[in-house]
Formats: sequence, C-alpha cells, structure tokens
Amino acid sequence: MPQDIQPIAGEKQTTEGRLPALQGRFPIARFQSLIALFLLCLALSIMSDKFLTFSNLWNVMRQISVNICISVGMTLIVLTAGIDLSVGSVLALCGAITAGLLKNGIEIPSQNLYIGFTVLGAILAGGLTGSALGAFNGWAITRFSVPPFVATLAMLTVARGLTMLWTGGFPISGLGDTFLFIGTGWFLGIPVPVWISIVVVALAVFLTDKTRIGRYIYAIGGNESASRLSGINVSKVKIIVYTLAGALAAVGGIMVTSRLDSAQPNAGISYELDSIAAVVIGGTSLSGGRGSILGTVLGALIIGVLNNGLVLLNVSPFWQQVVKGLVILLAVIIDKSNGKGE
Amino acid sequence: MPKPIRYLLYLAVFALLAYNSVYFKKLDEVKAGTAAFDAAGYARDFWDKKLTPGLSKATDLNALTALLKTDKEKAFNEHSHALGIGNIRYFLVKGQGVVTDVNENEVSVELVNAGQTAGNVRLATEYIFGNAVRDASGAIDINAFTNSMDFNNVSAEINKLIREKVVPPFKSKVKKGDRVTFHGAIELNRAHLQVNDIEIIPVNLQIEKP
Repeated sequence: MPQDIQPIAGEKQTTEGRLPALQGRFPIARFQSLIALFLLCLALSIMSDKFLTFSNLWNVMRQISVNICISVGMTLIVLTAGIDLSVGSVLALCGAITAGLLKNGIEIPSQNLYIGFTVLGAILAGGLTGSALGAFNGWAITRFSVPPFVATLAMLTVARGLTMLWTGGFPISGLGDTFLFIGTGWFLGIPVPVWISIVVVALAVFLTDKTRIGRYIYAIGGNESASRLSGINVSKVKIIVYTLAGALAAVGGIMVTSRLDSAQPNAGISYELDSIAAVVIGGTSLSGGRGSILGTVLGALIIGVLNNGLVLLNVSPFWQQVVKGLVILLAVIIDKSNGKGE
Repeated sequence: MPKPIRYLLYLAVFALLAYNSVYFKKLDEVKAGTAAFDAAGYARDFWDKKLTPGLSKATDLNALTALLKTDKEKAFNEHSHALGIGNIRYFLVKGQGVVTDVNENEVSVELVNAGQTAGNVRLATEYIFGNAVRDASGAIDINAFTNSMDFNNVSAEINKLIREKVVPPFKSKVKKGDRVTFHGAIELNRAHLQVNDIEIIPVNLQIEKP
C-alpha cells in the first residue's frame, strides 16, 4: 500500500490488495463520496440560483441534522453486520413521549396527583424510551438469534402502534419556547440542531476510533465467530450498539418535535431508508466490519443536498423517490466495484 | 475511585436530574387551572366579530378571476391568505349571479358582471369541509392556539355554523333563475390554477327573486 493512503478503521483486511490498483496516483475510491458531494453542489449551484444561499444551506444543514443523528446509530449497527428498520418509528414514539409528558404530564386520579415534567425531564424520558426500545431490539436479536431485519421490522410496527396509542392519533402541539429552542434556536451563529449533530458525530468518532468497544464493533462485523472466540462478549456489544442507536433515534425525534413544535403520530416514516442510504452512500459495508462515521456524515449530506436540490428544481415528489433510489443503487454498485462491498 | 464514592456520585447525579425533571401538584388544582378549549364558542365569536364584519372587504369574484388571468402573482399576493407555505391559498370573495341549476350537493350560478355573463361557479351546499373559511379571512392567528387540534376544531365548528345557519334557509328557497348575492371562501392552487371550476364555501347567501 502506498505511504499516502491510510486505511480507515476496519478497512485493512479487505481492501489492502485492491486499493492501489484501483486508485492509481489519486485515491479516488477513498474520496468518492466527497467528490460526489462536490459535483452535486456544483451542478445544483449552476441549475438553481437559490441553492448557494446562506438561508438555503442552513436549511439543508438543519434538515440533515436529524438524519445524521439516526444515521450515526445506524452506522454502528451496520458495522456489526446488523440493520435497524425501526428507527423511524422509535423516533416518532420518543418525540411523542417527550411532547406528551411536557404538555400533559402524568395524572394519577386515585392519588389526586399530577406529575409534571420539565423540559429536561421530558427529554430524558424520551431518550430513555429510545434507549429501552433499542436495548430490546438488541436483546431479541442476541437472546433469540432473531435476524436483525425481522426483529427491528417487528419493532417498527410496535413502536408505531404505541405512538398512535399514546397520541390517540392526534398531534401534540404547543410545547413552549424553551423546548422549541432545541429545534429552531441558534447558538454562536449556528442552528442548535447542527450543534447537536456535531456533538453526536464527535462522540461517535471517539467511540469507534478511540475506545475498546469501537474496536469490538468493527471486529464483530468483520468476523463474529472469530470475535466470540477471541473473548469478546458479542451479545453485550450488540445490545450496547442497538441501545445507542435507539437513543440517537430519540435525539432525532426530540429535534423533529421541537422543530415542528408538534409531535406528529406519523413522524419519521421512511426515515430508516434515508438513514440506511446515508450509511451505504458513505461507504459502510452492509456486510459489516468496514466503514466510518465521517463517511456516513458525507452520505447524509449527499442525501440532504439531493433532496433539497430536487425540491429547488421543482422535481415531482414521485420522481424524487425514483432518483434517490437510483443514487443509492449507484452507490452500492460503485462500492462493490471498488471491492469495498464484499 | 473507590466503589462507595462512585455509587454516591451516581446517586447524586441521579437525584439532581430527578429534582430538575419532575414536579408534583394536586390533580384537582391542575384541572381547575386548565379549562377545556371551547371551539364552538370561539367559532361563534369569530363569526360575529371578525368574519361577518370582514365580508365587506371580500374581493369581487369577477375582478379576481380577471386578475388571475392577467397577473396571477399579484392576485395571489394581494388577495389570498394561507397559514403555511405551499401552493394552496384561500380567498374571501363576493359576487352576484343567476342560478342555473340546483342539485343535491351544490347550486350552480352564472356570474353577472355589468349585465354580462362572466363564467360559472358552484355554491357548496352539502359538503362543507376544510379550512377555507377559517383561513381565507386571515383573521385567525395559529399562534393564539396551544395545539393544532383546537385550531382545527375551530374550523370544524365554523363549517358546522355554515351547515346549520347559512345553507338550510338558502337551500329551502333557491330555485333556478333566482338572482343570488353571495360571500364565501374559495381555495385555489397557485401552481395548478383552475379558474373555470370554482367552488365557493358560502358564508352569506341572499336570494333576490326575479
């Protein structure tokens, strides 16, 4: 491998032989997401005079902040060769729990007691709900060897049903200015949701690159049996990863609810697909063991810019879905042809 | 760090978070302070104090359709209202015309402008739904409501008033050939403008027998 090409974490085992031959003098495969994002921005700035404006770019950043949060969790799961289809529903439930507790509290008529929740309390309750649902996913997957696809598909339905039960099918609105600051406020000239996503990404990069559990995550995705034989508690790591993903879905749910000043029972529908798309476009292998958080951030940026561009160009929403699907397919094909998706 | 100190630290953090997360009150005190929103009362008040006086400012439908054909943007910018972004906008309109047909769901009217016929519209008399009347007035601020359900209930109550007070006396008397004067709300799509098939949700209907 040439001196100037440093493999990203977990990349070593499968790409060592291919990267130099494919990349020649410039490591195109390594920077393909970045190049794609640059070309997309360039094309959109030519095609729409509204794209390259501060207000639009901040709008894009605000919009992708939610996807970045849930995609970071999804990346951790995909790195272990898993998948989580429930993030959209968990996001909706956590947003609804947060909003419901903040707005209505808990009434216990038999004790003539009303338990009110502060913004902090409601957020903690929402976060704990997401973590608990994520932990349940991990437990079901590891304890009963249920395929992640099936376990999280079941949770998708359960969480959506619980959201409908909690909200009665109606939005919960009017959550107060303090709570709205999370989704709509600015801090040091940057929108608060962007700050939140920066913190989430920084913590996740630290987790994957600098901690023991981060190395375990890559190892389990690379070869689960070998990891188990090496003494890694695979079940524990997986439960932790799914719990983190649930907690990050909750963060996304709180951000969405705050931004809209309303918890919508049908929030987060198809968010799991945008999240998986960001992970795949960002270069994380669906077979696990290889990928990076920063790659996922790039993937989320591409998806966000693409969504924004298609809206600015007045493309029909139906065609938008077609284009997004094709972009994801293209990303996987390019990934495979580079030997990354093996 | 020794285990007991670590656990004490955890306990302290937990206690601090819990103290700042929840508060307790007597349920009957809370209930006494939060009376349920009276959407019907709000709608009646809105009807009497804002909508009815505001009808004098309604846009003449003939002038509006003419402007929509010549300068759509001006027509939308100066005469329409809507709560959010999007292409669906609402107009409070008035006009006169001759009834050309009366059926179960609507009354068809041929507009009259300076003695000349000027297109056809439909006065809805059966299906009174949506937010057209509430939003066309531009007189209700969504921020005055604590939740969207209350806001939507106001719309439902306004529509109920139309169904119960405006439509029945009109429907029982109207006949083909009658000359009618109307005030009402219409919904138009800025991106896909269709001015040849306008449906009016009536707010005020008067019949002038020929």
